[in-house]
Amino acid sequence: MSADLPLQYDFSEDEERMRGILDETEYDTELGVALAKDAQKLIAGELSEAEFAARHHEAIIEEFETDERPLEALADGDLEEVDDDTDRKGLKDALSGFDPDDEQSRREVLKKSGAVAGVLSLGAWGTAESMAGGDDEEESGVAAADEDEEGRQMGMVIDLERCDGCIGCVDACREENNWSSGANWMYVLAYEDEGRDDEDFLIRPCQHCTNAPCDKVCPVNARHTREEDGLVLTDYDICIGCRYCQVACPYGVNYFQWGDPGEGMEAMSDEHRYDDRGRHVDGVPLKGTMGKCTFCPTRQDDPETRGSVACMEACDAMGMGAIHFGDLNDPESRPNQYLEERRAEVRTNGPHTDEDGVSPHSSTEEDDISTFKLLEDKGTDPNVIYIGNEPGPNAQQVDGPVSYEGRVGADRRKDVLDEGADAEANGNHESTTGVTRGDGHEH
Amino acid sequence: MAMSTRVSKDDILRPMRRTSTEYYYVLAAASVAIAIFAVAYIIQLQHGLIVTGLADWGSGGGVTWGLYIGAFIWWVGIAHGGIILSAAVRLIGLDRYKPVARLAELLTIGALTVAGLYIIVHMGRPDRVVTSIIPAFPWTVHTSPLVWDVTVITLYFVMTATYLALTIRYDVSRMREDLPDRFDPLYGLLLIGYSEREDEVIERMVWWLALAIIILAPLLLHGGVIPWLFALLPSMPGWFGAIQGPQFLTIALTSAIGGVIITAAIFRRVYGWEHIITDDVFKGLTMWLGLFVLLFVWLQLQQIIGGVYAAPVDQAAATEAKLSHPVYWTAIGLVLLALGYVFAQGVRPSIFSIERSLAASVAVLVGTLLEKIFFVVEGLLYPSFSLYDAAPGDYFPTWIEMASVTGTIAIVVVFFALVAKVIPVVELHAIEELQEGGK
Ligand code: SF4
Ligand code: SF4
Ligand code: SF4
Repeated sequence: MSADLPLQYDFSEDEERMRGILDETEYDTELGVALAKDAQKLIAGELSEAEFAARHHEAIIEEFETDERPLEALADGDLEEVDDDTDRKGLKDALSGFDPDDEQSRREVLKKSGAVAGVLSLGAWGTAESMAGGDDEEESGVAAADEDEEGRQMGMVIDLERCDGCIGCVDACREENNWSSGANWMYVLAYEDEGRDDEDFLIRPCQHCTNAPCDKVCPVNARHTREEDGLVLTDYDICIGCRYCQVACPYGVNYFQWGDPGEGMEAMSDEHRYDDRGRHVDGVPLKGTMGKCTFCPTRQDDPETRGSVACMEACDAMGMGAIHFGDLNDPESRPNQYLEERRAEVRTNGPHTDEDGVSPHSSTEEDDISTFKLLEDKGTDPNVIYIGNEPGPNAQQVDGPVSYEGRVGADRRKDVLDEGADAEANGNHESTTGVTRGDGHEH
Repeated sequence: MAMSTRVSKDDILRPMRRTSTEYYYVLAAASVAIAIFAVAYIIQLQHGLIVTGLADWGSGGGVTWGLYIGAFIWWVGIAHGGIILSAAVRLIGLDRYKPVARLAELLTIGALTVAGLYIIVHMGRPDRVVTSIIPAFPWTVHTSPLVWDVTVITLYFVMTATYLALTIRYDVSRMREDLPDRFDPLYGLLLIGYSEREDEVIERMVWWLALAIIILAPLLLHGGVIPWLFALLPSMPGWFGAIQGPQFLTIALTSAIGGVIITAAIFRRVYGWEHIITDDVFKGLTMWLGLFVLLFVWLQLQQIIGGVYAAPVDQAAATEAKLSHPVYWTAIGLVLLALGYVFAQGVRPSIFSIERSLAASVAVLVGTLLEKIFFVVEGLLYPSFSLYDAAPGDYFPTWIEMASVTGTIAIVVVFFALVAKVIPVVELHAIEELQEGGK
């Protein structure tokens, strides 16, 4: 913190503006402003890092609900250790230092103070950053301010080795979302691959890609990524039904609402259909708009049900435990914990081997469980991590143990649509609702 | 130009003075086709896109885009080619083709209009076209190729319309007394602020516009955003890759020349313009047709060789599927037939006839339409992620979709039929030059 930094900011001048910005966020404005002011002092050298860290400890905990662990080390004066651990200095660190291990809490704190200080003192912030030697792997304070709301990233760890193809998850998803027959938002493929005797399963929800091509191509921003938790959603009230998202998605997870959703729509309450931003993103889509697995956004809105999805519940209820949904940025979340467990299991028991003693390929050097992301080479950065065998380029789907026809409506949507199209073209209105919903759930 | 001696203003005024019974037959037939299209669209609005043959790709076993998008590209291709031809006439002084320049411009306007219509027809929620696209535009224009498309098509429409309006002013001012009185208010509107002194300025403006069109059309339009709609998506190996730009452009030019030949042949026949749109013009256009077909086929060859020799699994599957599909070979067969004719008449001029050139053009237009629809559908049938048993799925357009093809062609026919009654479809400039040449 040298004295020649351009630090002479008149905070009051911009305070109004900052308050405006902060008022729009869900967090406490006062805290943000206070943090930013102190951040200024910190840069100016009027405040030590330890003081800065200690000052807002309680308020931050209260506001951001960062967990139990964070500040003990700092509050106890163990700042040295933290610094050593992270080998970083400077303001950014003072902020992130609350809990260097916890990406989430760090970001949330940054979010608030960064939003203020970032806008207010881009220069100083940047300088402090470069003073600190610039830490490549972390975003700068400015970036953190820009990437506001990036705290959570919901995702799944799916253990394919535990799946027996009962398609209970598909059924549960339809029960929850009322999608039309054959629009299998959740889909389980049984497949055979070269060099493997048994059939394998692939559980295929939407991958909720971080770099989602569907989001990129949408001409109206109806397909978008929800900032608070990284869910890739479609705003049914904006979508123009161009289907470009469906074309651009490499996974084939989108299902268009070709006909009328019928009672499927009416059966869902507003609370279930509109998320906390008031956008129509959950449940069966409106006629002429695009649908797909949503990661159940209205469940994620409510802290009570956050981290639950219908498909996972069904899988658990069946005693399978193949689907593990949660915040991938949180090391304590169910998917991360599960991954940890599985790795530990393998470390103690040795790598899993087939009957003939051949060990399946492992994805990394340190662990022996095979994990993969689907079509990772397409650059979509998916948020579903699979444990188990990855389907090879020549793998082919085969009939699974449970038929879609009996259980959830239909396997191929086209078969259903074809009936509907004929019936409709002949003016047979009865089929309108039959086509889109109902059929499947009579079983 | 042996036959040009008796060219006069009266020739180009003929469409406005004489209306044959056949004219009404054509209008009636076209109206029927448009009515069927309208009924089909109303049914689609009522029931949703379920009345098409489209479905979800993946586990769904269908394709998401089909005839509508294929026909959309086809029309845009005709439109772009038409204006490129007309701009080339002005820019590099291909004066020989001046008599068909305005027909080409009109074809562009007509084709762009129905292409725009296809965007609406294709949409699941046409009611939101304004309310959804406009507010998001400042953001989506950076990311969505579909928005780039809509933007450039609009830009092109405006450019072509300006271009056409500017050149029409000259003609209307010279022939006002001879033009039908009942459209007088319209001519008044066209001539607002006109004085002969502007001619030179306009001439220069038109030249610059032509330059802009010549530069933008190949780079941005049919060699750019339209193919990028597909070429930028690694999800579909049949689409992905840099070759789509040049490939789309050659197909566009091929179909546009075909379109111009057909339009010019019809006008020549109906209004006895043998001395204006001479055999010479058709011979020249036929040669151009051959050249672009050759380029089209050559780029197909590139893709086939690349797709079968040592291609990645997904691309190999897509190429193999393409090569084993009858629609593909029908399309290629039709354009090869046209190419054969062009070669033959090049070697032996006696083989040339207007009728044969017309037939070759029809073959090319049918071939390119089939190719465009096939391109879209086949791309979606063979995705990179081919694990699904339901992929490749299947697709066959319903009558609702097919009615749009005849319907849009009919719209363009009616457009020409009506425009020809209001403004001269051959430029006065072209006549003036022919008169000079004839003396
Ligand atoms: S899986 Fe497909 S639909 Fe889902 S986020 Fe990725 S690209 Fe979009
Ligand atoms: S179908 Fe809807 S969500 Fe998908 S790209 Fe088009 S407008 Fe966007
Ligand atoms: S996360 Fe929700 S929407 Fe997605 S498959 Fe599971 S239940 Fe269905």
